[in-house]
Amino acid sequence: MIRLDKVSKRYPNGHYGLVDASLTIRRGEFVFVVGPSGAGKSSLIRLLYREELASHGEVYVDQFKLSSLRGGQIARLRRQLGVVFQDVKLLPQRNVYHNVAFAMEVVGASSRDIHKRVPQVLELVGLNRRRDNFPHQLSGGEQQRVGIARALVNNPIYVIADEPTGNLDPETSRDIMKLFVEINRRGATVIMATHAKDIVNQMQRRVVAIEQGRISRDDARGEYGYES
Amino acid sequence: MNLNGLKYVLGETGRNLIGNSWMSLASVSTVAISMFVLSFFLVVTTNVNHVTSVLQSQVEMRVFVNPKVTRAQEYALLKTARHWPNVRKMDFFTKAQAANNLKQEFPNQRGLVELMAKSNPLFDGYDVFTYHPQDIPQLAKKFKQQPIVRTVVYEGQVVNRLTKLSTILKWVGWGVEGLLGLATLFIIVNTIRLAVFARRREVQVMKLVGATDWFIRWPFVLEGLILGLLGALIADGVVDGGYRWLTGAAAAALPFWPLASLHAVMHEVLMFTLIGGFFVGGLASLVALRRFLRV
Repeated sequence: MIRLDKVSKRYPNGHYGLVDASLTIRRGEFVFVVGPSGAGKSSLIRLLYREELASHGEVYVDQFKLSSLRGGQIARLRRQLGVVFQDVKLLPQRNVYHNVAFAMEVVGASSRDIHKRVPQVLELVGLNRRRDNFPHQLSGGEQQRVGIARALVNNPIYVIADEPTGNLDPETSRDIMKLFVEINRRGATVIMATHAKDIVNQMQRRVVAIEQGRISRDDARGEYGYES
Repeated sequence: MNLNGLKYVLGETGRNLIGNSWMSLASVSTVAISMFVLSFFLVVTTNVNHVTSVLQSQVEMRVFVNPKVTRAQEYALLKTARHWPNVRKMDFFTKAQAANNLKQEFPNQRGLVELMAKSNPLFDGYDVFTYHPQDIPQLAKKFKQQPIVRTVVYEGQVVNRLTKLSTILKWVGWGVEGLLGLATLFIIVNTIRLAVFARRREVQVMKLVGATDWFIRWPFVLEGLILGLLGALIADGVVDGGYRWLTGAAAAALPFWPLASLHAVMHEVLMFTLIGGFFVGGLASLVALRRFLRV
C-alpha cells in the first residue's frame, strides 16, 4: 500500500510542487494522476520513488517510511518499484536487450535468470525482434516500450509512470496504454501521471486530479475532466 | 557481493579503462610523474641517511695514549671505558697496526710510509664509537681526564651537521611528498570524475532501478586503484633503471662516494609509491563519485 500523509513539497525557489496531499493507493489498483502542466503530477511521482523528499508530511510505500531511509534501504525500496520515465532514460550505447538486462545486473541477478527473464518481458512489450537494436534505431514508441520492459523486468509490485505517452502519437499511445492495462491485469499496481484525455475517459479507472499542488478530485471511476 | 556482482564489477572496470583509454593513459602518466618526483625525494633522503650512517660507523673518535704507558695499563683502560654508558664500541690498536693501516690507505705514498715505519712516530690508541654523535665532545673530555691519554681526536661536528641535515631533509621531503600526493589526488579525482560524468545517466538509472551505492562505486574505485598502482609501478621501473645506471656511473666516477644500495632505495620507493598509488587512487574515486550518487 502507498500512503501519502499530508505531504507538502516546497522547492528551494519557494515554489510548491505539492500542498497538504493525502492519498492511499492499494495493491492492484490502476490510478491515473491528471492535472494541468505544472500542477504537481511529477512532484507526486518523484516523491514515490524518493527522487525527492517531502518537505512536510510523510510518504509510505509498504513498510518503507521514505523520510527515514538510509542508502541500502533506498535501493531496497526502488527494487519494489518499476519506474517509467517521461524521457525514458535509456542508455544509448547499449542495445535493447542490454538496456533491460542492465536493470537486473545492477541488483545482482544471476546471468541464468537474466537470460530467462529479459526475453519474457521483451516478448510482453513486443520488442523481441528488435533486441539487438540500439535506442537511436528505435521509434519513440519503441523506446518507451524498452523503458517499460526495463521497469517490469525485476517484477515490481508498483509500476510508476510519469507521462509515458507524453511524446507519442495517439495510435502509439493507445498501444502503450494497453500494455499498462495488461501489466495491471497481471497483478502490478499502476500509478500513471498522464495528459492522455481520451484514454483516461475511455478506461474509467480511478482518477486523482491535482491542481496547483492540491488534490482536487479523487474518483474511483473517473474522467479526465480538463480541456487538454 | 556475490559472483554475479563480481563479474559485473570486473567487466565494468575493464570497459571504463579501455573505453576511456586516452584518459586512462593520461592519468597513469600523471600518477607516474608525481610518483617519480616522490621517489626522487625518497632516493635523496635514503642516500643522506646512508651517508650519515656510514660516517657514523666510521671512526668517530680516536684516543691516543702516552708513549711510556705499559700494555697492561692500556688494556685496563679498554676494559673500563668499554662499559661507559655512551660507548658503543671501542677497539685497541698498537702503533705498528696504525702504521700498517696507513700503508694500506695510501698505497701510492710508499716512500713516505716506509720512512715513517723506520722510526714509527705513531702512538698506541683506541677507536671509539658512540651511539649518538652528540655525545662525542663529552666523551672526549672524559677520555682526556684519564692519566694515560695523550690526545683525543674527533670530527663529531660533521656528523652532527649531517644528522641535522637528514632530519631537515626528511621533513622537507614529507612536506613535498604531501603536497604532491594532494596534487596527484586531484588529478585522479578529475579523471574518475570525467569517467563518471560520461556515465552519469547510467549511474542515475542504476540508482533509480535499485542498485546500492557500493555496487555503483566498485567499478570506479577499482579503476582508481588500477590507475594509481599502474602509475606507481611505471615510476618504480624508471627509478629502478635510473638508480642502477647511477650506481654504475658513480662507481666509475666517484669510487669513494657511499651511495645507498639499490635494494635499500627500492625498498623505500616501492613501499611508499605502491601504498601512495593505492591510497590516492582509491580515495580519488570515492571523492569523485560523491556528487553523482546523490540521486
